[in-house]
Amino acid sequence: MNLSVATLVFVAVLGLLGVGLYALLATRNLIKVIVALQILVKGAMLALVLAGRLRNAVQEAQSLALTVIVADTIVAVIGLTLAVQIRQRLGTLDIKALTSLRR
Amino acid sequence: MTLILVAAMILLPWAGALFVWAAGNERPRLQNGLAVTFSVAAGICGLAMLPRAGAEVVLNFPVGGAFGDFTFVADGLGVFLAAVATVIGSLAVIFSVDYMKGEHQLGRYYAMVLFFIGAMVGLVLTSNLLLMFFFWEITALCSYALISFNNDDPKAVAGGMKALIITQLGGIGLLVGALVLYAYTGSYDIQALIANPAIVPAGVLAWMAFGGLAAAAAKSAQFPFQTWLPDAMEAPTPISALIHAATMVNAGVYLLARFYPAFHGVPGWTTAVTLVGLVTALLAALMALVANDLKRVLAYSTVSQLGYMVYAVGVGGIYASQFHLLSHSVFKALLFLSAGAVIHAVGTRDMRQMGGLGKQMPLTRAVFIIGSLALAGIPILNGFWSKELVLEAGLMHGPMWAYVGMLIGAGLTAFYTYRMVTMVFYGSPRSALHGHDAGPAMRVALIPLAFGALTTWLLAGPFSRLLSVESLPMHHIEPENTWVILEEVFSLPTLIALLVVALGLVCWWQRERLAGLGQALKGIGWAAEHSFGFEAVNRAIVGGTQKLGEALRVTQTGWLNWNVFGILAGLVVVLIVVILGGR
Repeated sequence: MNLSVATLVFVAVLGLLGVGLYALLATRNLIKVIVALQILVKGAMLALVLAGRLRNAVQEAQSLALTVIVADTIVAVIGLTLAVQIRQRLGTLDIKALTSLRR
Repeated sequence: MTLILVAAMILLPWAGALFVWAAGNERPRLQNGLAVTFSVAAGICGLAMLPRAGAEVVLNFPVGGAFGDFTFVADGLGVFLAAVATVIGSLAVIFSVDYMKGEHQLGRYYAMVLFFIGAMVGLVLTSNLLLMFFFWEITALCSYALISFNNDDPKAVAGGMKALIITQLGGIGLLVGALVLYAYTGSYDIQALIANPAIVPAGVLAWMAFGGLAAAAAKSAQFPFQTWLPDAMEAPTPISALIHAATMVNAGVYLLARFYPAFHGVPGWTTAVTLVGLVTALLAALMALVANDLKRVLAYSTVSQLGYMVYAVGVGGIYASQFHLLSHSVFKALLFLSAGAVIHAVGTRDMRQMGGLGKQMPLTRAVFIIGSLALAGIPILNGFWSKELVLEAGLMHGPMWAYVGMLIGAGLTAFYTYRMVTMVFYGSPRSALHGHDAGPAMRVALIPLAFGALTTWLLAGPFSRLLSVESLPMHHIEPENTWVILEEVFSLPTLIALLVVALGLVCWWQRERLAGLGQALKGIGWAAEHSFGFEAVNRAIVGGTQKLGEALRVTQTGWLNWNVFGILAGLVVVLIVVILGGR
């Protein structure tokens, strides 16, 4: 039974990573990029917890997962703030249109 | 006592650098005083250290981890080079008091000079290969900062960049050597490697040996890396003296001499070293023949003389190589500083505009001629004895073709030296230049060096004891009496060498009659003026790198989707490697 739970979680990890990466590859909308990043990071976090469970190092896995949650929240907040600013100043959320720093 | 002296030789210049910098540029007199005090104190420590050379570890900082122990060993070779760096360095600092008068950024100047001297001492005294690499790179950075000291002059900045890039390229060889040594032995101890080179496998040792040769060639401006040294002439002249005589270029020859016991068994290594020395000595001598910039002639002569030292290492003459290094340090510092006095007085480096300056600057002329005679290898000056010892070692243990090549180089040296002296000091003035003789601080630096050029050959015996078995057990240098060593020079080959030198001088006197020959050799002259195509190669490499960078710009789209694709592709590659490696 234990094994099947682990398999289930592993499938979920792969699914989350797959969805997140696909969205990052496909989307050009900045808000969707941030959502995709969130999905991706959730997958990574779940993978950490799973690895801790399988290796009998649950505490390390949990502390790592907590650290990731904090970092991930900051990324989301700053990303969304930037998105709001960009929308206000440039009138678009298309990441291909953000070329003012390119030469 | 030994411990205090070793620490003082490194830390005194470094402390001086901090104090000079803290003194501030608005107090130049204080800065001069501080720089001279600290460098002279370090020089005294360097001299006091000479009789205390020994093979044991005097200073050990156990840093731990991947850095190992930072150990310092004050053996003969290290102590000798440390003394050269501190003593010649302090003379260059004293000379700077006059030369740099009125300069607004003395703090930057002296701080870098003192930092440079301390790093050079550390480089030659440490026996930790990784630490040696650190000091090696500090000297490269200091030389860059000092060559580009006039940082509003694009030529000076370009010269500094060139020196930095080329010497860093060679530094990679040293870093690889250090890391390989650590990977196979678990420590960076140079002494252990020299005592028993078999601690690393033969193939790996070969990589280390040739990496070391590349590092040494880049540092000592040897073929094919010789192009940076002439461009480094944009530096203030005391810096040229410092780089050419006291620090920097000696490090390459030191590296070869230090590791000779470990590397000489590597197949092809000694031949490669001999060849590098020979080719450099000849090419640089030819380029010195056609250069018209006084400092460039001296720079090419340095490259050429370093070729003699490298050649001596290649044929196993470690003693001759280091003895020539001693002579060269003294007479080249003398030549550069007196050339600096000339340039300071007349305000140009172009020898075609000089001429007849001897009457206006009698003292400078006298010391310059002493240095030139030593460079040309005229008896009884120090350059004569050491160059003959190098040639002697080459004849006894080296291949004949290399010896003949070096003899031709000796003739060329005499020829270009004589050309330089007559163009600067004799004949009728070619333009309305007015010189004044060297100032008091310049004299303080010039006169001891001139005395040294006349007398350091008398130290042959003590010098052999310094490098003998007691402090360098693996180099097998026999301690001998001065007269026994110098007696070797009185032989038929020396006579031949002297005849070649005399031939060089006669060629200069009879240059009008030899005009036909000069026409015939015009092609060589043209090639030498264009540095035998090495500048073109350098430019091609720089241009190619820039083009490649521009071409790779297309991969930097800045599109998030594209970058994520790159990350995914990388992930797939890593996964494949892991799966394949897991089997």
